[in-house]
Amino acid sequence: MKRSTLLVLAAGSTVWLLTAAALQAAEPMARYNSKPGDLKVRIEGTSNIHDWQVEGKLIGGYLEAGPGFPTEPGQAVTPGKLEAHVEAYIPVRSLTSVEKDGRPYSTAMDDIMYEKLLAQANSKILYRLTELVLKEAPKSKDAPYVCDAKGELVVAGVTNTISMPVNILPVGDKKIKITGSTSVKMTSFKIEPPAPKIALGLIKTGDDVKLIFEWTVAQKKALPTPASN
Amino acid sequence: MNENESDALGYNRRDFITGGSIATLMTMLGGVELFAQTNAAPEEGATKITPVKVKVALIGLGTWGREILNSLGRLPQADVAAICDTYPPFLKRCASAAPGAAQTGDYQTILANKEIKTVIIATPTDKHKEIALAALKAGKHVYCEAPLANTVDDARAIALAAKAAKQLVFQAGLQMRSDPQRHFLLPFIRSGALGKSVMARAQWHKKTSWRATSSSPEQEKALNWRLSQATSSGLLGEMGIHPIDQAGWLLNLHPVAVSAAGTLAFWKDDRDVPDSVQAVVEFPAGVRMIYDATLANSFDGEYEMLYGSDAAIMMRENKAWMFKEVDSPLLGWEVYATKVQFYKETGIALVMGASKAPPANTAAVQEEALTRTPLYHALGNFLRNAEAVGTATKDFIESFGADDADALAEHLAKNIHRQPAAGYLEGYQATVTGLKANEAVRTGQRIILQPEWYELS
Repeated sequence: MKRSTLLVLAAGSTVWLLTAAALQAAEPMARYNSKPGDLKVRIEGTSNIHDWQVEGKLIGGYLEAGPGFPTEPGQAVTPGKLEAHVEAYIPVRSLTSVEKDGRPYSTAMDDIMYEKLLAQANSKILYRLTELVLKEAPKSKDAPYVCDAKGELVVAGVTNTISMPVNILPVGDKKIKITGSTSVKMTSFKIEPPAPKIALGLIKTGDDVKLIFEWTVAQKKALPTPASN
Repeated sequence: MNENESDALGYNRRDFITGGSIATLMTMLGGVELFAQTNAAPEEGATKITPVKVKVALIGLGTWGREILNSLGRLPQADVAAICDTYPPFLKRCASAAPGAAQTGDYQTILANKEIKTVIIATPTDKHKEIALAALKAGKHVYCEAPLANTVDDARAIALAAKAAKQLVFQAGLQMRSDPQRHFLLPFIRSGALGKSVMARAQWHKKTSWRATSSSPEQEKALNWRLSQATSSGLLGEMGIHPIDQAGWLLNLHPVAVSAAGTLAFWKDDRDVPDSVQAVVEFPAGVRMIYDATLANSFDGEYEMLYGSDAAIMMRENKAWMFKEVDSPLLGWEVYATKVQFYKETGIALVMGASKAPPANTAAVQEEALTRTPLYHALGNFLRNAEAVGTATKDFIESFGADDADALAEHLAKNIHRQPAAGYLEGYQATVTGLKANEAVRTGQRIILQPEWYELS
């Protein structure tokens, strides 16, 4: 074999070996899945008659936390970019209109909302995180990690990039609570604000809505090893 | 004054004759019509809702089954996928009302069809238990006609199975519990607008034999299940169950005793079920309900009354009127209401959005009143609730997995907007009262209704 060929082969092998070593040395992402119970979605809006609100209790999806992502209370984390993947979704049909005190409001309003969100063709509101930045370390063990999140929000089949502040709070026991809120315009997702007619006349819904969420994710606990006899 | 005109707002004799409806009669008696603004057909410019179709099967195509099928035909969300009856002429008769629906004489084929998520059971009452239990076991949402069964034990078995099926909707066929008109009246009544409740009354009068004929004696016996004590709880169990349940529901009272009597006054054939019954249902606080039903006379049809010291309410079909006492306190809204004077009574109109609502006697409003019956709303609510629960179950499992059955049950119990409907408990309790009332007819004894009979353990 020619010497030059051998050198190329050797270099390629070295690169391959170094890459493999690097991959082995990199920490895997820790996966946290959505958990039922401690989560809520709330959408607040306005109209010419009265303010309105919609709530849901389902958020699906996961968070994959890279090294340096706060997963334990009081963990030391350097402000800056955090490595994380998030794909989350809200089933549109899980959203229902409520009174200010949380009592069910109107299935007629729910139907209008599902129609406007094109629920039959787009059954989920989707979110994919593209960037997460820790602004400052928390001042105490119980305080959340305050971050800025940038991501893609898909509503009624339309994708927009949104930025919003989020708080990340590890609560121990391999659970993390994430909260945040943002304001968007319905028309930015090509949704014409509903204008339902009632006996009193026309209701005109405001274009601006506020999205608020509380989301708890948890790692799957390893099953206990059965005792040997 | 022209004898053809009343003191009322231009109302005249010609209108009465051409109107000729119960509604006209009630207005003339000074009744104040109370009606809810329901979710009517969307007006021009309103968001058009695309209904989510729900595949439904109807088991039992007798008189009431055909009424159900007619209502399903008017419900935009109903996709009648199958109809079932063991009597082939009934299947044939219903085919045109359910084009495209599979026809079968065996309900098991419906239960085996995974596409069909909801079933409606309108068979003879003694068949309810077998089919309802099988349907729940097959994972179907179930609408079961009332009474649930002919015995308390069978009714309890159905109710307990429904209670255990936390991921399924079970709705009892007490259609008044889904009627928007009754729900509109509920807070009005519960707020004490009638004053002290003193009495209730209801009647069901229809001249009809209830008898069907068939060339086969065996089939004829099966078709005439209502005429035999062995297979029917008679007028009180089959018909009286509805207004008796309604009275207790609206007044928020549970019945404590029932006395009843029945006679075979007119249809003297081989039936052993009375064709005319009268019952007194006792509620707490001195409130009694008088109910009578007959198959021998149609006068005045079907209506329910609640009497209080300040006002009475009459409910007919899906409309209601209020008659106030002259010494009853003003509630405030009377200032804005239209008053109608007729004969010796003063009626006060109570209409939500009166300034924008169409006049109550327009053809469109009357047609809506006729087509959007309590049964229509009950079936619509059942299909909507079943679809909502099914979707919520699917979404929950997709979001969190299927491991946590308790969390799923809690989610379905707390986080779904359900349309109003009678559930398994209401169906069971109403059935107990209906069966005991029928027992009172047969024994001639006043029956004290034990609280433990109404508990599901």
